[in-house]
Amino acid sequence: MNQLYLKRTLVLLLGPGFVFLIIFFFSPLVFVFLESFKGPAGGITFSRYLEVLTNKQFQHVFVRTLKMALIITPIAVVLGYPSAYLMTKLAPGKKSILMSLVILPLMTSPVARTYAWIVILGKYGIINKTLTSVGILKEPARLMYTEGAIVVGLLQLFLPLMVLTLVSAMENVSEEIEEAALSLGSGRIGSFFRVIVPLSFDGLIMGVTLVFTGCITAYVTPAILGGAKVLTLSTLMRQEALVLMNWEAATVIAVIMIITTLILYNGLRFFKPGNLA
Amino acid sequence: MKNSKILLLILIVMFVFLIGPFIVIIISSFSSQTVMRFPPEGFSLRWYDKVLNIEMFRTTFWMSLKTGLAATFTALVLGVPVAYTNVKYRYPGKNALELFFSSPAIVPGLVVGFALLRFFIYVSGIPILLGLYLGHTAILFPYTVRVVSASLRNFDAGIEEAAVSLGSSPLHAFFAVVLPNIQSGLIAAFILAFITSFNNVPVSLFLTGPGVATLPIQMLVYMEYYFDPTISALSSIIIVITVIIVQSAEKVLGISKYM
Amino acid sequence: MSFIQLTNIDAGYVRGKPVLKNFHLNVEQGELVSLLGPSGCGKTTTLRTIAGFIMAEKGKVVIGGKDYTGVPPNKRNIGLVFQNYALFPHLSVYENVAYGLKRRKVPKELIPGKIKDVLNLVSLIGYENRLPAQLSGGQRQRVALARSIVIEPDLLLLDEPLSNLDAKLRDEMRAELSRLQHQLGITMIYVTHDQIEALSLSSRIIVMNEGTIEQMGTPQDIYERPETPFVARFIGFDNHLKGKMIRNSEEGIRVAVGDTEILSTRKSGRSSELQIGDAVEVFFRPDDTEILDKKLPNTVEAHIDYANYQGNTTQYSLSVEGTAIRAIVAGRQVPYNAEKVWISIPADKLIIEEDRGH
Repeated sequence: MNQLYLKRTLVLLLGPGFVFLIIFFFSPLVFVFLESFKGPAGGITFSRYLEVLTNKQFQHVFVRTLKMALIITPIAVVLGYPSAYLMTKLAPGKKSILMSLVILPLMTSPVARTYAWIVILGKYGIINKTLTSVGILKEPARLMYTEGAIVVGLLQLFLPLMVLTLVSAMENVSEEIEEAALSLGSGRIGSFFRVIVPLSFDGLIMGVTLVFTGCITAYVTPAILGGAKVLTLSTLMRQEALVLMNWEAATVIAVIMIITTLILYNGLRFFKPGNLA
Repeated sequence: MKNSKILLLILIVMFVFLIGPFIVIIISSFSSQTVMRFPPEGFSLRWYDKVLNIEMFRTTFWMSLKTGLAATFTALVLGVPVAYTNVKYRYPGKNALELFFSSPAIVPGLVVGFALLRFFIYVSGIPILLGLYLGHTAILFPYTVRVVSASLRNFDAGIEEAAVSLGSSPLHAFFAVVLPNIQSGLIAAFILAFITSFNNVPVSLFLTGPGVATLPIQMLVYMEYYFDPTISALSSIIIVITVIIVQSAEKVLGISKYM
Repeated sequence: MSFIQLTNIDAGYVRGKPVLKNFHLNVEQGELVSLLGPSGCGKTTTLRTIAGFIMAEKGKVVIGGKDYTGVPPNKRNIGLVFQNYALFPHLSVYENVAYGLKRRKVPKELIPGKIKDVLNLVSLIGYENRLPAQLSGGQRQRVALARSIVIEPDLLLLDEPLSNLDAKLRDEMRAELSRLQHQLGITMIYVTHDQIEALSLSSRIIVMNEGTIEQMGTPQDIYERPETPFVARFIGFDNHLKGKMIRNSEEGIRVAVGDTEILSTRKSGRSSELQIGDAVEVFFRPDDTEILDKKLPNTVEAHIDYANYQGNTTQYSLSVEGTAIRAIVAGRQVPYNAEKVWISIPADKLIIEEDRGH
């Protein structure tokens, strides 16, 4: 391929998408980013960041958001790994049915999906009704608008993401390799930890990254299940912007959210086996 | 054998947890009562009747449909050439550019919507509806690139060269030979992107205003004021439609491998 | 003037270095020329440069008197047959074959006749409405052939067209290609790594290595008289011993291998340039190697590492002063346990080449 011809082809093919993203995606982000440092009389100021970062409520929400991600991700791994492993062992027909069920929570409207948890966790929901009728509880307990509710809701959303990532990673581990490990004297569990886990480690890191960053930026689930009582970074940002009309604080939170996700995204990628060697 | 029973148990628990809530919501939508209870008492279709008669749901449904179709179409038109380049050409700086094109999937949607609102509506005065369309297009972009790339990777480049050697220009070869053979990838990209747009809340949240709202945003607004099974009924309709689309897309296209 | 002329070509950059550097090639009209070599030798790059999929950075491509340098592949009248056939999966056999005719704006009323003729030529009458997925491998290759010859190309390029077929089909298709070439008189360039294919099909073979031509000649030239160590090895002179030039005379070349003297009566192009005292390599084929139990002229002492009985032949692995040597002999000449033997190579089956430190 002639270099000049290649260059022209690339410009023609990539140009429209590139220009679109520069104008309608990057410019707004850069604009918002720069604006967050602009002093009232010009110049650079960090006062907005200081103000937000020293704010007790913000600190509380920030820690809570990270904490929930730290709770959800390991649960997703513990439930996702064995499930994904078992799914790769199923006959294609059965596997296809289960796969379409796994992707259902990802494909369904988040509002519809989360609303179901109100029916389950609400004051007169399934859990409270069951527990009071059996006599374990005298009064319905408050399950909605708690951190627990958000954790449950987010887990339903992100567990499928973990399973999908792991299934595609494990599909690359051939049956023969596993059988070889078994024939060489590893037990089922031994071969799982010594063969399957290391070979699907890339997929695991990918899954953890997706779930962790997803938990931090999720909006609909904490908005419905946490409400204004249990705020996370994203619901706090929305509250600052649309309820309190505090655009400056919202901007700062937005920047902090991007930075947090980017750090996590690149930080977790560091754990790829190739990078550890 | 004991081990595989434990595995099976974990799998079953997981599916009950993932799918159970959908069944609960569908059952609750047939309640005859005004307060959400479970199990529901009585059976009626009154909430379905109500959903269909609330005008805001009807208008926002059309808004979501139109935004989704327009944004998906634009994202495909922009994304297919990018995917084609990703698969076919090597050039310096390719990794950086691929990261660039996938970045709308990494930046939180809430921030995308917020930045677009600040930038366009406050600075440049672009109408909010246009902002909604552009925001959706931006976040769908990486989806179309990824899905179409995946299906192009399974396409034998020799077939395209055969067409060129028989006299097709590169452009003609693309439309006559490449496109017809990545059809299922294009359909999968379309379905995934459209559903993503139709369901989106974070980007739309800041890009809605008087007279401009999408269905999920309208549902959230409704839920703030009313707590009756109307949303159950609407959610049930959405779930059933999604199940039908997902099941057939998985059966025909194996859509889960593109996600 | 040759029909195809590649002059001074630099093409096919991989990590900043051209695969072909200062490359020359001439092919005459009506020839079937094979480009033979291991993967990465530049044979496919040469083919793609002729087809126009790789634009040469330097040099000139002339085909049939027309300068094709810089002309895109769709504007060259060249047929192309791919290793994996590259049929259009969504089009029927008929539509596949019609594709090039339509692109060339052949009058509509002429198309059905041309397609019928070409399908007749490749024995595919009756398969017009099948999709490629409904055909066997051999049938697909016939469609690919039909598709590229129906446009009456100036030149047909074939890129390892038989390598995806099983052995029996490969023989059949080889015969068929040969027949088509004679019948149509079309110039063909055939890329392969399989020496048997090249030997049986070609009027001329070009052996390539690392982007340059090692040797060019008739199949007999290449097989009998390899001119470079690379060609010798590639064409089956698997055994080689290191030695030293002693004498170059009327009778032949004498070489010392260890403390024995060996005579070669064959003269390859370059062996006459050798000087006395030069380090050389002695090449010979396993099936020209005989095993004897006593010392005779032109023998080297060896010992048997193991023997592998294969019915009509026995394969021996031997070593001569630490160098592994293979011999294929009819029946069994020496007992298994004979440790010390002599291998003999007929003086006319030996090739002496300068040792370039391979």
